[in-house]
Amino acid sequence: MRLDEIAIVGVGVTPQLKRSDRNSLQVALDAAKLALADAGLAHTDVDGIAARWPGPGGTVLAPGSADWSTLLGIPLGWIGDSYPQGIPALVDAAGAILTGQATTVLITGGQAGVLGGGRVAAYTQPGNEFVEPFGAFTAAHFALVAQRHLARYPHARQGMAEIAATIRTVGSANPDAVMAGRGPYTAQDVLDAPPVVDPFTLLDLCLASEGGAAVVVTTLERARDLPHPPVVLLGAGMEWMRQQYVDPARYEQVWDIGAVAARKAFAQAGIGPSDVDTAQLYDVNSLEVARQFEALGFCGPGEGTDFALATGIGLDGKLPTCTDGGLLAFSHIGWGAPTLKLAEAVRQLRGQCGDRQVAGAEVAIAAGAGSGAQYYNLALLGRAR
Amino acid sequence: MGVDAALTGPAAGLTDAFWAAAGRRELVRPVCRDCGRSFFTPQIACPGCLSENWAYEPSTGRGRVYSATVVHKPPSPGFVVPFRLGIVDLDEGWSMLAELVGGPDGRLPAIDAPVRVTWTERDGRVLPAFTEDGVTS
Repeated sequence: MRLDEIAIVGVGVTPQLKRSDRNSLQVALDAAKLALADAGLAHTDVDGIAARWPGPGGTVLAPGSADWSTLLGIPLGWIGDSYPQGIPALVDAAGAILTGQATTVLITGGQAGVLGGGRVAAYTQPGNEFVEPFGAFTAAHFALVAQRHLARYPHARQGMAEIAATIRTVGSANPDAVMAGRGPYTAQDVLDAPPVVDPFTLLDLCLASEGGAAVVVTTLERARDLPHPPVVLLGAGMEWMRQQYVDPARYEQVWDIGAVAARKAFAQAGIGPSDVDTAQLYDVNSLEVARQFEALGFCGPGEGTDFALATGIGLDGKLPTCTDGGLLAFSHIGWGAPTLKLAEAVRQLRGQCGDRQVAGAEVAIAAGAGSGAQYYNLALLGRAR
Repeated sequence: MGVDAALTGPAAGLTDAFWAAAGRRELVRPVCRDCGRSFFTPQIACPGCLSENWAYEPSTGRGRVYSATVVHKPPSPGFVVPFRLGIVDLDEGWSMLAELVGGPDGRLPAIDAPVRVTWTERDGRVLPAFTEDGVTS
C-alpha cells in the first residue's frame, strides 16, 4: 500500500458554541457518531481509535484511547494517543493501517464544559513554575515571536489586520461558525479592537470555544464502497522544536517552523505550493497565517502578509484560506481543534461546502500549531483519482 | 481531566535552590561542570552534553532584551494589567522569561536594550524581574 491509499471517509463536526452544556467526552462521542454516519459505517466497523480520553470515567492507571473500547463496546486492534489530534493522529492512523494493525480508525476529540468566563482559558495557562508566575499565557508566547518579526517588518501589522478581517468575515458568513453573523470586519476594526497582548488585539486572536470534531480513516479500497468521494492522504510532515510553552520560543528558531515538514509533505505528494487550491492553516493569530505562507514555501521570508494581500485568501481569492472561518471565527476546541482543519479540507475536496465552496478544489492543506507552540504539522489531502 | 503531578512537576530537588536563591534576591542558573554550558530552564542533565554533573552558580543578572511585549488582559486573577513581559538573554549565555519593570518612563524596552535583574513579589514569593539600566553608554 502507498500513502495515497489512505482515505478519509467520514467527517463529523458537532455544533460549535462559546459555551456548551455538555462535557468533553459527550461532544467527542457526538462527533464520532456524526463522522461514522457520514462515512456510512457503524461503530462496530471501527477497529482502531485515536481519541485520547477526555473523561470522566477513564482507567485509573492510564486514561487513554483504550478506554473507548468499553464505551463503544468493541475490541480494538490499535490505539493512538497523539497530542494534539488532527494531523499527528491522521499520520498515526495511516501507519496503523499501512502496517496492518487496523482497517478503520476513528479520530475524535474536542472540549466542552471547561471554559469559564472573564479570563483566558485554563488550557492557555501553562502550569510551569518558570512560566505561570510571569503571566505568560499561550498568546503571549506567540506575541513575543511577533514582536521581533514586527521590529524587522513593521509593515506586516497592517497585513495582519487584513488577514484577520478577511478570515473573520468569511466566518461571519458561515452559519455554523461560533461568530456567525458578527461581521463583516475591516482591518481597522481589528486594529481598533481591545488589545490583549501586543501586537495582538482581541480580533487578531483565535477563539476559545466548545464542541467536538471527528474523522474516520480507512483504505482507499474500502472507501470506494462508501457514500462520499474518497479524500486521500498525499503527504504529511511534522516538527517538534522543544517542549511547548516552557522555554520561550525564539524568533530565529521558530519563525520558519514547518518548512522542513512542508518540504517532506510536498515531496511525498509530488506537488508544490502552487498546486494547493485551499489552505486550512492553523490561524491561532493573524500573523501565524502569514508566517505559514513563508514557512510552507508560498513566498519568501518577510513576504507573508504581502503574499496574502496580493494573492487573496478570501473565498474570492486565488488561495482561499481557513474557509470555515478558522480558529479566528469558526471555532477553537483545544486539542481537538486541528481535527477541524481536516474536516474542512475534506468537505472542500468533496465539494460539500455550499456558499463557501472553493470551485474545483483538488488539493488542500490542513495544518496544526505554530511558532509560539514550538511544534507544527501539516497534511496534504487530495481527491482520489 | 486530571494532570499527573509526578509527570508535570519539577524533578525533586531540581529547582528548590533556584527559588531559595531568589528568596535571598540572588539570581542563579545551572552551569554544567563538564562542558561549561549555562542552561535554563533547569533540567536533570545538561542539554549540551547530557551530563548530570551541574550546579547552580550566581549570575551577574545582566543581559539584553531578546523580545518584549505588553500584556493587557490578566491571564488570571492577581495580575494587574497592563504589565510588561520579556525574554531576557543573560550575559552568561542563558535566557529566561520575566516581567520587565521600572525603567525610563516605564516604557517597553527595545530589543537588545541592556537590562539588569531586580526583584518583585507575588503571592509571598520573590520573583526575578528585569529593568532597563537607564544609562546609555
